[in-house]
Amino acid sequence: MSGDTALNLPEDLKTRALNNARQATPVEALAPLRQDALAALEGTAFPGRKTEAWKYTSLYALTDGHLAARAEGAAPADLPTLSDYRLVIVNGRLDEERTALPEGVTLGRAARRLEGLTTPFAFYNGAALDDAVTLDVAANTDVAAPIQVLHVAAGDAPSHCNVRLEVNLGTGSRLTLIEQYLARGPVLTNAVTAIQAADNAHLTHYRLQADAGDSLHIGTLLFQQTGVSRIDSYQLMAGNRLRRNDVRAFLDKSGAELNMHGVFVARDRSHIDNQLCVEHRVPDCTSNQVYRGLAGEKGRAVLNGRIHIHPGAKGTLAELSNKNLLLNAGAEIDTKPELEIYNDDVKCAHGATVGQLDALQQFYLQSRGIDAAEAKRMLSLGFVNELIMGLPDQAVADWAQPWLAAELGGRPGADEEAA
Amino acid sequence: MLEIRDLHASVAGQPILKGLNLTVKPGEVHAIMGPNGSGKSTLANVLAGRDNYEITGGEALFDGKSLGDLEPEERAQLGLFLAFQYPVEIPGVSNMEFLKAALESVRAAQGKEEWDSVTLLRKAREACKQVDLDAQFLKRGVNEGFSGGEKKRNEIMQMLLMEPKLALLDETDSGLDIDALQTVAKGVNSLRGPERGIVLVTHYQRLLDYIVPDFVHVLSGGKIIKSGGKELALELEQHGYGWLTSGDNGDNGKKDQTA
Repeated sequence: MSGDTALNLPEDLKTRALNNARQATPVEALAPLRQDALAALEGTAFPGRKTEAWKYTSLYALTDGHLAARAEGAAPADLPTLSDYRLVIVNGRLDEERTALPEGVTLGRAARRLEGLTTPFAFYNGAALDDAVTLDVAANTDVAAPIQVLHVAAGDAPSHCNVRLEVNLGTGSRLTLIEQYLARGPVLTNAVTAIQAADNAHLTHYRLQADAGDSLHIGTLLFQQTGVSRIDSYQLMAGNRLRRNDVRAFLDKSGAELNMHGVFVARDRSHIDNQLCVEHRVPDCTSNQVYRGLAGEKGRAVLNGRIHIHPGAKGTLAELSNKNLLLNAGAEIDTKPELEIYNDDVKCAHGATVGQLDALQQFYLQSRGIDAAEAKRMLSLGFVNELIMGLPDQAVADWAQPWLAAELGGRPGADEEAA
Repeated sequence: MLEIRDLHASVAGQPILKGLNLTVKPGEVHAIMGPNGSGKSTLANVLAGRDNYEITGGEALFDGKSLGDLEPEERAQLGLFLAFQYPVEIPGVSNMEFLKAALESVRAAQGKEEWDSVTLLRKAREACKQVDLDAQFLKRGVNEGFSGGEKKRNEIMQMLLMEPKLALLDETDSGLDIDALQTVAKGVNSLRGPERGIVLVTHYQRLLDYIVPDFVHVLSGGKIIKSGGKELALELEQHGYGWLTSGDNGDNGKKDQTA
């Protein structure tokens, strides 16, 4: 390829994104947000190879032209049912006919400007939204059953969709939210989920990412704990052609507690990049993060765990643990805790390891007649199963166990295809 | 069933067994005793096929097959069982799931009928009861957070279910209080039978009060230096290993004086 046809990918992506946003069909309820986001997008560069936060993740896959078209495929008929209450969002648009919500939860079709989200993909999400879903949980409501939100993306050719979900938990409310991403085909899901919790609110949150191997996902999950609230988040994620998950959490009222548990698996040639950032901005908040990662074949996984303790956040308790397992030498996992602490009166612990299967555990299984391949499969499943065994909702655990077992068995054929 | 001839073995390149001979026939219970570092555990691990435990000379035949040629799982499928001195903790793999995988594989290899999950659970509960282990342990991760005694009971529980032809027990008595020792011994004794061989590797005589062996061997310096009946164990208890291990003719005292 000669020099003058070489692509400036960040510039190209930005031009595409701006054009798409300017040409998008107007939606009245979203107009102010879209204008706002467009202005921000104009002033923001897309990441290139030298952008630190994108060090391990190349956007080269997007040269296939995902931003050139909107995803228009139909949702598969058989969607997993994990609760009686659910929302189905197809290519970013709510499927109203398949909506069933419990009492005490109000559905809205708007979106707000989100403080703390400054990435170009989040701005693009806001600038080009076709639809948005907001769930408001009324104060003092204990929502009877989980709400399952299915984010479906489908397309046969490279295309993309922008997905936006906002959930606001009123004072003293309780909710279990199951977010499930199911992309089929070479579609990029550009997702933003924002959750706000008021005083005494308690959210149990699941993020299940079981997209097809050829799909792409760039998403941000935002937690805003504006009240003395508790959020327990469980994130199960399979790598695909490109998966980038940013999680940003703001602990903004003393006494707030955030617990995040995650499992990520990168097999064959799949990719997953987790960028976590927890902001302790006020005194006496607690955050606890436990992530387990697993990579095999030529899979690539990344975790960057940033904990930012602001000067006024005395009495903070913050922990981050990330253990990883490499199944073979061709796989790669990069993990880095990143602590920024500006107050002396805090307790902050972190640990990150990358290891291989334990030879003695393997011998023990084999000495009981279990063959080497099955022993490896059992041990790698066991490595992440500790977290699955701790899932508080049985329906999710029942879905997760076979899904994970299949992921760990590898996706037969995928590697040969890619090779 | 087990025929060991002039066996030499190294652990990570270090020679440990130096010409060991041992024959175990069906129905026999053998005790292998010896001081620390004599090679007792090495023998057990070599026979089970642990990595880095390498046969460098001689042979170990199990039902006529050379163990050195077989993977650990193939040895188990033939009916060899090692009760570990230090059972391994495997968090995230439940005891029950582990038993299911092990029994499916071993029973299929031995041409025994497959147990459905109801039968398996019933048998597993019975085996737990036999070794005084709460059935709740079946749901927990393999040996995860078990006490020393619970781990040993878990080994015997597995052994009862696997019904091996040859059971090797590597210091199963270590770390057990007297009640646990009796329970474990009862479990082992229940497996005694004309078809089955049992090899007890132990440092102390007290296990042999409860599991009475047909033969006792003293292992020292990587060889069996004395064999006898159960009374040999009592002699060892009284006199220690010194009178056997200090020299070829037991005249160590003289040597000390001249040294």
